[in-house]
Amino acid sequence: MSEGVASLGADAELSMLREMAASFAAGELLRGREEADRFPFSPLPLATLEKAHGLGLFSLTLPEELGGGGRGTEALALLLEAIAEIDASLGGVIFVNALAQEICLRSGAREALKGLVEAESAAQALIAFPAWDDPRFTAPTVCAVERDGGWSLEGKAEYVALSGLARRALIPAVTSKGGISFYLVGLRGEGVAVSDPVVSLGLRACPCHDLQLSGAEAAPVGEEARGKEAYEEAYIRMLPAAAALSAGILRGSLREALDYVRQRRQGGRLIADWSEVRMILAGMAAADQEAEMLVRGACRAVEEGGPGWRLAVRAASLRAMDLACEATTDGIQLLGGNGYMVEYHQEKRFRDSRQVQALMGTQDMKRQEYARLLLAEESPEWGRDVC
Amino acid sequence: MRKSGRGSLIGEYPAFDDIYCGLRALRRMPKAVIGETEKAVELARRFNREVVRPRALELDLRKQKDPDYLPWDLVREANRWGFYTMFIPRIFGGKGVNFPALSCVLEELASGCTGIANLVGVHYLGVATLCASWNIRLMNRVMRDTVAGYRSGEPCLISLAVTEPDAGTDVEEVELVRKARVSCHARRVKGGYVVNGRKIFISNGHLSTWHMLIAYEDLKRPQSTTVMLAVRNGTPGFSFGRQEHKMGQKACPASELIFEDCFVPDENVCVSAEQSAGLLGGAVEDAIMQVIDYVVSGSRAGVGAFGTGVARGAFEEALHYAASTEVEGKPLINHEWAQCLLAEMYKNVAVSRLTYMETNYANSLYGMFKVLNYRPVFYLFKYLPRPVIDRVIRPLLDLDAVTRLFRKIYFDWQPPPFTRRTSGWASLSKFAATDAGVRNCQLALELMGRAGLRHDGGVEKHLRDSKLLQIYEGTNQLNRLNLFKCLIAPSVPGAVVFDE
Ligand SMILES: Cc1cc2nc3c(=O)[nH]c(=O)nc-3n(C[C@H](O)[C@H](O)[C@H](O)COP(=O)(O)OP(=O)(O)OC[C@H]3O[C@@H](n4cnc5c(N)ncnc54)[C@H](O)[C@@H]3O)c2cc1C
Repeated sequence: MSEGVASLGADAELSMLREMAASFAAGELLRGREEADRFPFSPLPLATLEKAHGLGLFSLTLPEELGGGGRGTEALALLLEAIAEIDASLGGVIFVNALAQEICLRSGAREALKGLVEAESAAQALIAFPAWDDPRFTAPTVCAVERDGGWSLEGKAEYVALSGLARRALIPAVTSKGGISFYLVGLRGEGVAVSDPVVSLGLRACPCHDLQLSGAEAAPVGEEARGKEAYEEAYIRMLPAAAALSAGILRGSLREALDYVRQRRQGGRLIADWSEVRMILAGMAAADQEAEMLVRGACRAVEEGGPGWRLAVRAASLRAMDLACEATTDGIQLLGGNGYMVEYHQEKRFRDSRQVQALMGTQDMKRQEYARLLLAEESPEWGRDVC
Repeated sequence: MRKSGRGSLIGEYPAFDDIYCGLRALRRMPKAVIGETEKAVELARRFNREVVRPRALELDLRKQKDPDYLPWDLVREANRWGFYTMFIPRIFGGKGVNFPALSCVLEELASGCTGIANLVGVHYLGVATLCASWNIRLMNRVMRDTVAGYRSGEPCLISLAVTEPDAGTDVEEVELVRKARVSCHARRVKGGYVVNGRKIFISNGHLSTWHMLIAYEDLKRPQSTTVMLAVRNGTPGFSFGRQEHKMGQKACPASELIFEDCFVPDENVCVSAEQSAGLLGGAVEDAIMQVIDYVVSGSRAGVGAFGTGVARGAFEEALHYAASTEVEGKPLINHEWAQCLLAEMYKNVAVSRLTYMETNYANSLYGMFKVLNYRPVFYLFKYLPRPVIDRVIRPLLDLDAVTRLFRKIYFDWQPPPFTRRTSGWASLSKFAATDAGVRNCQLALELMGRAGLRHDGGVEKHLRDSKLLQIYEGTNQLNRLNLFKCLIAPSVPGAVVFDE
């Protein structure tokens, strides 16, 4: 199978990064992915997380002055795509953490990100975040109250990814000023109760927990009530990375299906020789190429800017996420009954693709927001609800 | 286009009788069917409220934790509620509710949990297979076992074992089985068959007492040497293998069945290759395809009902979410786009339901249910007092002549267009409703985001459960091809399937 037309222009450094990611995934994730996916009924692969931390996978996009890789969206997307092809869960961990870091950066809170690279363990390096919510559209359920010159948080933060692993969480909250503000809260401190892991559809080794916050001490991240703007900036830069997860999952599904149809026989021939099977394969392969091109295009739009770039990023990323959901459904189908079984990994890809599609808010709200921005291009009053 | 069936314009493609099955069936339908169906649906709704919904998520989690767990408590509960005897005809000791009502019950159950619905539905797949052999003596014996299980509280379910490791799609169609690599061998010996081989993915396998087993006398000529046997648990040489680790429908195990020199006596042979040769004037392959068509015409309507049910389950979760969630300061349910989305989901449920209803009308008029749904027979069996059934009818069921009569009716007197109509509609319902089921789950997730991803939200389970529906009872690809074969190809000279 070709490596994809869109990758031809990737520079040598990016290719090396992709190779490193692919060999890490093959060496570290392949064997244990089925067991890890049983979480919370099996332990998390903590040793793998430590290795990922050691390799700097949790600080790829962190600025160099903070000790990070200083890389942009495209590099992150390449990394995530290669990893997700084998097991998207670790990709989810990297994504959530990078999103939290990006929000801190866009909020101007660099201080909060110091020392992450040197952190002794992955737990110390990672930042938990409710990555499946878009705080611009779903009002936060946590309030921040100023008390004795400090801040404390009250309320329930649901579905906070990595909060069972990380030491700190970045939480969106409302203050008396209204709007949204971000706070970093220690997860082992007083006033923080972490629930049992929430069993989820996909990305199971990127676990989520609910948090009950009762007067938990918290440090503000950025200016009070300016969270929406910071979130939008982080969101638009991270959308292609989420789409890259989708593209990686899709490619994994296609490869597995291709292997299978070349071996399985029905009706006296390889199933690859039935023309209906070929139609499905052709659809998957085209979706694979399309997703890859969309991700590359979205990354380029983030990095190069230009007129309408935010729209382009949204359109491309949403489409890539949808494609992965459709293609992984076919990915199961081509394996028949075996596709529905855990051992063949297609069912995991089917679940993971949906889990990724819902990152940073529901797909339907993403579509609504896209339409509003599109209309605002022509006449700004349409876009007044969007920051 | 060739005329199909009658000579007048009404018989031209698409033939009136092919596309308006319901219209003709309604005229002949006994009125009591409506009341019976209403009662069956009510019972299913009560079961849903009291048993299925409170336990579905917990059972799914339990199975994730312990993949080898078997949900005996739920099966006992379903047995206690009478679901395993509800659709067994009264002459065989059951409650005799009309068979088409099974689909309505399955939709109800699947709207709560498709896996639990399968615990009930697959038993009737076994029943339907047993019935498709029209071996009345054996039907009576096996179904009365289920009735005894209802009385004793020890469930006696029936499974269907066709699929083998190297033959899945192939064993759903005679044209394909001809080239299949089957391995379940039935050797003719004095007084019965000796079976060797393995069956996989058998729903309810570990939970069933009887297994309708498809095997082949000659592995090189499976298309003309197919035999159907009834194997009871405890038969020497028969054992259970592993349970599959599936993505969803976890309540219902998919089992491996192992046969090692397993002797099946003649009295447990539903239909032998020799008997098939005596049907349809000796056209063995046609007779075997007819058996397959009888089974799938009923069972695929059931899977269509599962698809409808899971589509409805997802719709109900989405509706609840939209009614209880605010987006941008306004209830989501009052956003126009959400209203259109919910209408689309409702449509998917309603259209799916119409497909399985139409299939059942076809089955009542032209297929397996045609005798039982014939008004005089329907009322006779419904109101005949039990003692009369036991004293007068029951002894008749053991007579060879009765089996011969039923085989005459269902094979020799069954015009091919009738079978094509039921089988074609069943395939249509199967793939239309199951595609709609998966679609609605996807739409619900896209609406609900993380609320749908959480196990405790219920929608993610519906999605996992729904995907299987596109695979079993023939993949949706095979069903599209069967629809083409039954409802399109006959009107196009030279059109053939599986011959590209
Ligand atoms: C959980 C579960 C429960 C089941 N329960 C039962 C049961 O109770 N009893 C039972 O007997 N079986 C059961 N089955 C088996 C089920 O019916 C088969 O899985 C199904 O028929 C598909 O067969 P397969 O898995 O071998 O896939 P394959 O036949 O190998 O198909 C693989 C792919 O090739 C395609 N394909 C194959 N042949 C053709 C062709 N000629 N033209 C076009 N495309 C083709 C298929 O559509 C599919 O996409 C169950 C399966 C599962 C997964």
